[in-house]
Amino acid sequence: MIDNNFDRRDFLKVLGWGGAAVALTGCGNTSVQDGKETVVSYVEAAAYVAPGISTYFNSTCAQCEAGCSVTGRVREGRVLKLEGNADSVINRGKMCGLGQAGVQHHYNPDRVREPLLRNGDKGETITWEKAYELIAQKLNGVSGDNIDFMTGTISGHLKVLLSNYMDSLASKNHFVYEAISPAVQRAANLKSYGVEMPRFHINKAKVVLSFGADFLGAWVSPVHFSQQYAQFRKGSDGQRGVLVQVESKMTLTGANADRWLVVKPGTEGVLALGVINALGLAGLSLPAAVAAMVKPYDKERVSQETGVSTDHLVKLAAILKERSPSLVLLGSAAEGYAHGSQNAAAINLLNQVLGNVGKTIEAAASVPFPQVAPSLGNSAALRMVNNRLADGQTKVLFTYGVNPVFTAPKETNFAANMAKAGFKVAFAHYLDETALQADLVLPLDSALEDWGTHIAEYQPDGVQISIQQPLMEKLHANTRGMGDVLLTLIKKNRAAEYAAFEDYYAYVRTALLQNKRQFADVGVDDEVFWNDLLSAGLVNVAGTSNKLVAKLASEIKLPAAVDTDAKFPLRLIPSVTASLRDGRHANQPWLQESPDPLTTIVWDSWVEIHPKKAAELGIVEGDIVEVESKNGTVKAQAYLFNGIHPDAVSIPLGRGHDAMGRYAKGFGVNPFAILDRVFDDETGELAMHETLVKISKTGKRVIVVKDEGAAGGNQHGKKIAVNIASDQVELSGEA
Amino acid sequence: MYRFIRFAILLMGLLSASSSFAADAHLEPLTTADDLGPVVEQPIEFPHNRHAKDMGINCIYCHTYSRRGNVAGIPPMQKCIGCHQNIESVRETPRIKKLFEYWDAKKAIPWKKVHDLPDFVRFNHERHIKRFVFQQNRPVQEVCGACHGDVKEMTVARRQKSLAMGWCMSCHEKEHVVVAQGGMPIGTAAYWYAMKKPAVKADGTVVAKGPNDCSSCHY
Ligand code: SF4
Repeated sequence: MIDNNFDRRDFLKVLGWGGAAVALTGCGNTSVQDGKETVVSYVEAAAYVAPGISTYFNSTCAQCEAGCSVTGRVREGRVLKLEGNADSVINRGKMCGLGQAGVQHHYNPDRVREPLLRNGDKGETITWEKAYELIAQKLNGVSGDNIDFMTGTISGHLKVLLSNYMDSLASKNHFVYEAISPAVQRAANLKSYGVEMPRFHINKAKVVLSFGADFLGAWVSPVHFSQQYAQFRKGSDGQRGVLVQVESKMTLTGANADRWLVVKPGTEGVLALGVINALGLAGLSLPAAVAAMVKPYDKERVSQETGVSTDHLVKLAAILKERSPSLVLLGSAAEGYAHGSQNAAAINLLNQVLGNVGKTIEAAASVPFPQVAPSLGNSAALRMVNNRLADGQTKVLFTYGVNPVFTAPKETNFAANMAKAGFKVAFAHYLDETALQADLVLPLDSALEDWGTHIAEYQPDGVQISIQQPLMEKLHANTRGMGDVLLTLIKKNRAAEYAAFEDYYAYVRTALLQNKRQFADVGVDDEVFWNDLLSAGLVNVAGTSNKLVAKLASEIKLPAAVDTDAKFPLRLIPSVTASLRDGRHANQPWLQESPDPLTTIVWDSWVEIHPKKAAELGIVEGDIVEVESKNGTVKAQAYLFNGIHPDAVSIPLGRGHDAMGRYAKGFGVNPFAILDRVFDDETGELAMHETLVKISKTGKRVIVVKDEGAAGGNQHGKKIAVNIASDQVELSGEA
Repeated sequence: MYRFIRFAILLMGLLSASSSFAADAHLEPLTTADDLGPVVEQPIEFPHNRHAKDMGINCIYCHTYSRRGNVAGIPPMQKCIGCHQNIESVRETPRIKKLFEYWDAKKAIPWKKVHDLPDFVRFNHERHIKRFVFQQNRPVQEVCGACHGDVKEMTVARRQKSLAMGWCMSCHEKEHVVVAQGGMPIGTAAYWYAMKKPAVKADGTVVAKGPNDCSSCHY
């Protein structure tokens, strides 16, 4: 928002003079400072270290839960750049932009550097000894039932330590919260396939029908799926894979699809049953029970409810029938409703009748050491913690890797409820919204300074245990690794058991060495094994393979029509972008300034509106519009976008922080805040797409800061880049 | 009118800004009267003459990185200590006492740069050392001395040559014709100085004078 009347021509003139002045004084080698700059040499250097020559260490990306293994380039003791580790079956030498920004998590100038104790609304620096003492004091006499530990997804030895610590406190209240998670899908998969997260083979499918699964952007394990997608596009048997994406708001994957089908929000399940019905009519044999169940979903009704034309529906069924195997995926767009589980069941049923189970969907190997397998997050955990806080059941609250004050809908009153807990400890890298509410903030080492082991939920081949190791010395003297902190805490209760471990490093090392036989050949020396492990940065174990059980859903209840409300006529789609996700990394400037792939907007939020709807409401690009739900309002710039259903508006998640440092605070708005509290009927997950809103103009208008030209993707009929629909192209003459 | 006033104010502000910059420029002159670098005061007055002349120590013994990478670097302190912990005779001299103070505190010595190049220039030590010391077997002190001067006669080193591009070219144009191997990638960009497009001899060898692309040093 640039609000001044400074004359551009004057500015250019002055700039010209300015340039001259700079050029004049800039004569000579001004950057040469003989005798001014210091050149710091090593005190002691390892033999393999030479100034100016990089060394490489493998570790694990901690930016999301996909668990990609990375190779860090280190020069003069500084980590400079991360790349994917080629030996990792998850990411095979590649990584994503979010992962790349991990170095900005490490070097972030707003990291917390000292333990802080609340004194009024200030944080006072205290020592770690004092902090540990204080925790012991506050836990003294508190029953385990009143101690809660809230974390994000957690796996590996940190999880083992944490559960042992909770055990030593006689508490069962470890809650794993992820604001954005495929929790509905896990429950549905368990019902239909017998496992929560099977392996998907996009590369083996000839058609992929994705119901809002943004597998190229933010879904489950995007780097892995991007590579599968590349193979899928090359095709097998000379047939290039066809991607059909069904969603109400276009995702990055939708933008890459051969056919993007926009559906009325929430009707994904109806469409899936309609396709099954159409497949039956086209000659695919359906089990009798299924045939009976989908009978009412004839193409006219489905077309009317979903907004997908009967023509498209029939074509979709035809291509699915013709090209087998196919793969049907299900993403957050289909899950985010009160009937999300039903949508998911309908979509999984489509996979089953197409015979994809066992071909493009297979069971993943299960982790041979269940104690290190990931504890998976969901949003139902937030609800539980919030209820406990509201009822005063939580006396001491620990938080790690979560920011519920930011991601909880305002209506939950999370911040106020959190205040009811007598003592709140935040293990944090930054002073985010949740840390600001805490009584004690304990500063953690960055992911590039810490030790650890990670096991991702999605395992494409066997089980990969990714090793996290420091890529460089700590930047700040008084930060600690989370593992070290937990070890110190647990030693207060179980000193004898943990005395042998001087630090978390020793703990991890001992634990892995104890299981050496699982990973290495007999007779390998401990030291050799450990060094090989660190240099590889990962270890693969076969894991036990399960068989999928295909269980057909017997009943799927889909609402006849999705509710609307005269007062709030539009549906809010809080979109998940590949780089900002739930906003935990919004303080990494690379993520703020890399243009959104679809709109090219940077450093700000926007409200996506269909041009037709915008015309109806008299909104043009850059209008500041107010988006109002039952629970609040946010104001942001309008962006007209053809890739959204006319009855929906979309605001990306992740921005709108009012804490978390200079690069996060004050940029954009936070749609989490205005979400309605509607939950999935079966799993109790927050139904993220169930919020109804209305929008109005505020009368202000700004220039939208974006990379694309003023006209955006709109050519205004000028035929700048001429195109033709793919079914109009005559290819028979092509070689 | 209003516009003009605003413009004038801007301009004045700018001029005063740039003139104050000029007045601020109490930077040491980059070249001294004798065309040597400035005399630099170092935390420890390191006697190059004692080491390189009296003891006859090979330059590369301490500056070992010079043959391994772009930058020569300053030797790690463990190198100094490696010898000096066994040289009792000078153990109590002021400079060595200071050295051990740093060592005991495990603190790096804040040496000042004597040879600094602008950030857009990359000089490759390894290439020069490999060629002249290891291929042509020239004496090390002569090779290093070509750019660094007669270091064995100095205590604290002082820059002896201008290290500007023209000075680089004074050798590359005349003295050291580079014979590139057959398959070496040769740029076709614009050439400065005598960085002519390399000639191809009848037997297929490519003859170039010095680096033949801007990006050989500016990357
Ligand atoms: S997908 Fe996740 S783990 Fe992999 S590189 Fe990207 S942010 Fe890191």
